[in-house]
This record gives sequence, structure tokens and C-alpha cells, in this order.
Amino acid sequence: MKKLKFFIPLLVFAATAGAQSDFLLYSLKGNVSVVENGVETKAKIGKMLNSAATLKIATGGTATLICNESAMFTISKAGNYPLSKFGDSCKVTGGSVSANYVKYVWASMTKSSGTPGSNRKAFMNTVGAVSRSINNVWIDPRLDTVNYSGGDFPLSWKSYADAKEFEFLLYNNDNITEPAYKTTVTKLKIPIPDICKLMSAGKSYYWTAAVKGEENDELKVLNFVSKESFEKTLAGFKSFGAPGETPAQQAYRVAFMLEDAHYLSEAYQHYSKAATLDSSNVLYRSTLMSFKKDYEIK
Amino acid sequence: MSHNHESEQAPQKRKGFKHHAKKVHGRVTKYLTERDTILATIWVFVFIIALGSIPLNLGIMNPVKLGLKDFDFNDITYSKLGKGERTPVDSNIVIVNIGYANREELAMMIDAVGAMNPKVMALDALFYGPRDPHQDSLLSETFRKYKNLIVARRLELHGKEGDTVSFAGDYFNTASQYAHVNLFTDSISSVRSFEPFFEDYSHKRYPFFATAIVKAFDSAAYKKLENYGTKKVIINYTRHVGRYLLLQFEDIIAGNIEEKAIGGKIVLLGFVDNNRDNLEDKFFTPMNERFAGKSIPDMSGIVIHANIISMALAKDYIKKVPLWGNLLLAILVCWIHMSFFIHYYLESHIWFHLAAKIAQVLSAILFVWLGIYLYDRYRLKVDMKLSIVVIVMAVDVIYFYEAWAVWMHKKFNFRTVFKPHHH
Repeated sequence: MKKLKFFIPLLVFAATAGAQSDFLLYSLKGNVSVVENGVETKAKIGKMLNSAATLKIATGGTATLICNESAMFTISKAGNYPLSKFGDSCKVTGGSVSANYVKYVWASMTKSSGTPGSNRKAFMNTVGAVSRSINNVWIDPRLDTVNYSGGDFPLSWKSYADAKEFEFLLYNNDNITEPAYKTTVTKLKIPIPDICKLMSAGKSYYWTAAVKGEENDELKVLNFVSKESFEKTLAGFKSFGAPGETPAQQAYRVAFMLEDAHYLSEAYQHYSKAATLDSSNVLYRSTLMSFKKDYEIK
Repeated sequence: MSHNHESEQAPQKRKGFKHHAKKVHGRVTKYLTERDTILATIWVFVFIIALGSIPLNLGIMNPVKLGLKDFDFNDITYSKLGKGERTPVDSNIVIVNIGYANREELAMMIDAVGAMNPKVMALDALFYGPRDPHQDSLLSETFRKYKNLIVARRLELHGKEGDTVSFAGDYFNTASQYAHVNLFTDSISSVRSFEPFFEDYSHKRYPFFATAIVKAFDSAAYKKLENYGTKKVIINYTRHVGRYLLLQFEDIIAGNIEEKAIGGKIVLLGFVDNNRDNLEDKFFTPMNERFAGKSIPDMSGIVIHANIISMALAKDYIKKVPLWGNLLLAILVCWIHMSFFIHYYLESHIWFHLAAKIAQVLSAILFVWLGIYLYDRYRLKVDMKLSIVVIVMAVDVIYFYEAWAVWMHKKFNFRTVFKPHHH
């Protein structure tokens, strides 16, 4: 009897320990946290949890877990979820390959897959046609913000549609419902000097382009920087130079820094200057070429 | 009462089963050792060899042949029998989706992953030339920084024999290791195998991307893989993308990843898009949900590499039965079926076609199962196509054989079980 008293709790413990499941946090969205040993921490992808842990999901959050490296399930409703309650989700369904083969052969031989006439719902799920709500114009993210003080530089875009005409729209900073300027162009770019007369130095504008007759909600920023302001920036960039820097090296370095600061037109001038000052330098020439290619400068 | 009834019925049942079993056995074996059965079996193979030797590609007129060109019965195990569904997640490999990240973002991604101390990082992306100088310089420096980073490149073959090698897609030369990612398969066939190494004219060996990763991660697993050399190795597909931990760029940058999930592991950085309409860097594999007929590519290149690595690390290679083994099996199958068909042909001719058709269907199901079972259980790949072809051909060859045997009997007094106009 004494032995039994000793063994029964041991067996119960062994059975409980054997039923422990490991959960891998496979993916997360929104606000999800984990409570382990009474301590709440932010949930992280790839974390291993045991059955004693609790998952806290905030509204709008989802968590996908893999139990015992095999069974995957997703929780998308807000709430607190002790993982010990997900024992059923850890069961991997499906028999052996041989058993599934017998089922598959039997199902194939006995069940008809139906015809379009007899099963309309199953056969009416093709895409049908293209959707026309998508944007047919793509503007390079590098043009997201352009700082401009002067020089010849285009605002360009690419078109997925075989369109002949495009609309260029310029908006004032304080009104993005009505364009301040609207024009139709046949090329996939517009030179900034063409719209300079419409802008005031020191002000920010939004612009976009669309296939004529279509709309494009994607707005890009164009900051029309005053000459004085730009000169200050340029002087600052020039002052970073190392002793003994040649004019070509300085032009190239400044061009790189200007490009990084979104002064694309000015960067182009300096890349050109570097390539002209040291025409034998392959790096200067290749950089200028790829810059021109990237920004559609002909 | 009931007991008495059972005791009276049971011996009768046993007798009945024995009787039927004996009958079936007799139908299969009665003509097994007859000279005609053996000769008819030989004629089946003569026909197969003769048809296969026609120097014209008749496949163009045969849609079935065209459809079955890339067909393998074992593919059913993945598409219909749920083989890949129960495979556990591979805890050695983590995939990071690079999406459409530019070079600067890639550098950030590698830095973020590298900070979590993976054992090996591998980038499955090609770089064909200069772009933004700022981004290029960042990525180039990142490549230089991580000695455990393997970067993809393309192997370009030149010369008459295609054994002169040059590389493409490796614009940055600062990474400490490069390995080729292109597989020697056409873009519309299923990717079933890979070559661990490519050997050029001077016998210099170039490791495949997955080979280089295995080498950096596990020397024992690499030794086994190295033994395959330049031979084709059948890929043992075990996992679709959901069976690897898949991380997104945003989660890495936002610090949403548990460091332990990456530390000491293989991190594969590649493009993954589960959108069926996006076919970029996607391939057909045996795991495609349609195992025959028209379909769309189903697996991203990086997941194929992951499957190869999983196989190599688990040393779970597929053994292929050699041609002679498949041939021997086909001869055995043909011989037994021929004996059964000849029995019906001669003794119950009225049932011959019905019995033959039923036997063909049941045998096809049985042999497909046998192939699947051996593949699933023992990783043994037996080509059952020939065995099934001989079962189909055997019925037609009997008619030819009868005419031939009767002609031989008349001309040379050839002893045969087929009598002139016996039916």
C-alpha cells in the first residue's frame, strides 16, 4: 500500500510531464505578449513556449503557433490564452501515406469531380478580368523627396500601361485636393525648370503623375530650396573634405553627399563635374552613367 | 444453440477461403512455367525495345507521352497523400524573406541578422552591376564584414563542351564565399535533383549554394554530400515553406525576433512570396498540388535550397533503384501477369477481356502503392512506369503471340498451348 501511495503520484506526474507540449511562435501581428512564470514580456517570433505559458493578444493582433514542431494553428481573437488549453490543436491529423493512398484511390474511383454545368459554384472562381483600380504609374521611391534649388533635372515615372499621354499634377503644401498646376505630357518625365515659375523658393510642394484619365493617389514631395539655403548646405559638405583632396575628388564626394541629402539636381551637376575634371576615372564615369540612367536624364 | 451453429459454419468458411485462394493461385501459376508464357513475356520486351528504337520522336503526336514526360508516381505522396504535412519544422534553418529590399535595406537586414550570431548566413540574390553608389558601398562593406556569409552567383558555361566556367551576378567581390545557385534543369520541368559540385575542364570543382552552406554548418554532413561529387542527387523534399521559420524584414528591423531562433543556425536570405500569381524565382517541384497536367510553379528557389540542406543535414538521401533492378521487377511482373492472362485466354476466353482489364487496374493500383510505400518508408525510388507499361502491353501481345506460335507450329512443328483457331 505504501508502495502504491508512492507510485501513483509518480505515474500521474509522469503522465502530465509526457503530455507537455512545446509551442513555437511562428508569426505575429499587432500587440501580442507572453506571460511566463508570472512575468509578462513582449512576444517574439521564434520563441519557444511550454504549456504553462499564457498568450495575451490585443485587439487586432494575431499569433500563429506550431505545436510540437508539427501542428500549426492561428489565434486571431483578442484575449488571454493559456497554452495548456491547446492540447487538441497539437494533434496532427491524417493517417499514414498508405492509408491516405487507399482513401485517395477510392475517392477518385467513386466520386465525380463534377462538371461546370452541375457544380457552378466550384467552376465560377476564375479571376475573369484585370482589375482597374490599380495604379498604372510607378514613381521611383528615390524621388519620394526631392530638394531642388536649380539646374536641369527631371521628375520621372514609369508606366505599366501602354499609354500615350500622362498628366502631371503639382499641389501646394496646404491643399492636396486641388492641384495648383496640371499639365498633359507625352513623355514619362517633366523637367523641374518647366514648373519653376509656379513655385516659390523656400516652399514645399507635392506632385504626382498618372495615365491620362486615371488617378494616382501617391504624392511625392518637392522642396523648392532657396539658393542661399542650398549654398549653406553645400559649403558645409565641402568643409568635410580631407587635406589634399583634388577638385575632382571633392566634386565626387560632394555629389555623393548631395544625393544622400536628396539634392538630386545638384548631385547630378557635381557628378558631371567630377567626371569632367578626371575623365580617366572609371568610377566617376560609371557613377555618372548609372545616375543618369536611374533618373531618366538624357 | 448459437455455439453449435458457429462450430458448424466455421470449418465451411475456412474451406471456402482455402478453396478460392487455391483457385486464384491456380489461375496465376498454371501456365507460369510454360514455354509460351516465357516467350510471350520476352515478346513484350521485344516490342518495348522495338518501339523505343524508332528514331523518330513520336511524342509530338502523343499528348499522353507529352503529359507524362515530367511525371513521377511518387509525386502523389506530396500532392494527395499529405506527406509533407506531418514533417516537423526544421529547427536548423531559418528563412528571411528579402522581399523587394534594395541594396541598402539588404545590408541592414544582413547586419541585423548577423548581430544575432547565426552560424551561417546565405544570401540568395544576384547583383549584376552598379546601382546607387551609396547603397553599393554599404552592401559591399557588409559583405566584407561577415565571414560566415555565403553569397549567390550564377555559373555561366562556355565552350563546345560547356565545361569552361565564368560567373555572373557577383558584382560585389567582397564576400568571403560565393556559390552558384543555378540548377541544371529547364525552367518548365520539376526540380528533382541537383549536383553538389560542378567540375570544369581542368577538374576544378565549384560547390553548389546548398553544398557550401552544408560545408560551413556541419562537416560530417558535408563529407557525405561530398561523396556524391558531380553526380545528380535526387532531392528528398520534406518541407514546404510553412515548415521553416520564415521571418520578414520588418520584424527583424523592429526587433520582433527571438535571438535564440537565429543564434547558431543557418539563415537563408531569399525571396519568398506565397502569392500564387507571383512567379518570380519559383519552380515546379514534386510538392506541387497538381502532380500531372498543367499547373503553376509552386516553390521559391530559397525553399528548394532549404530542402536540400535539410536532406543533407539529416543524411536522409533517396536511394534510386538502378535500371537493372527496375527491369528485373518489370520482367517478373510481366511474367506473372502473362501467366494469368494466358490462363483466361485459353480456358475462359469469354471472360478474358473483363478479367484482363480488372487485373490491369488492380495491378496498376498495387504497384503504384508499392512504389509509394518504398519511397515513403525506405527512401527507395523504384521506377514503376516500366512495370505498368508491361502490364498494359501484355494483353495485346498475347494476340500477336498466338498468331506467331501457330505459324511456328505449322512451319516448324513448334510445341505450343495455343491451338489454331481455338476460339
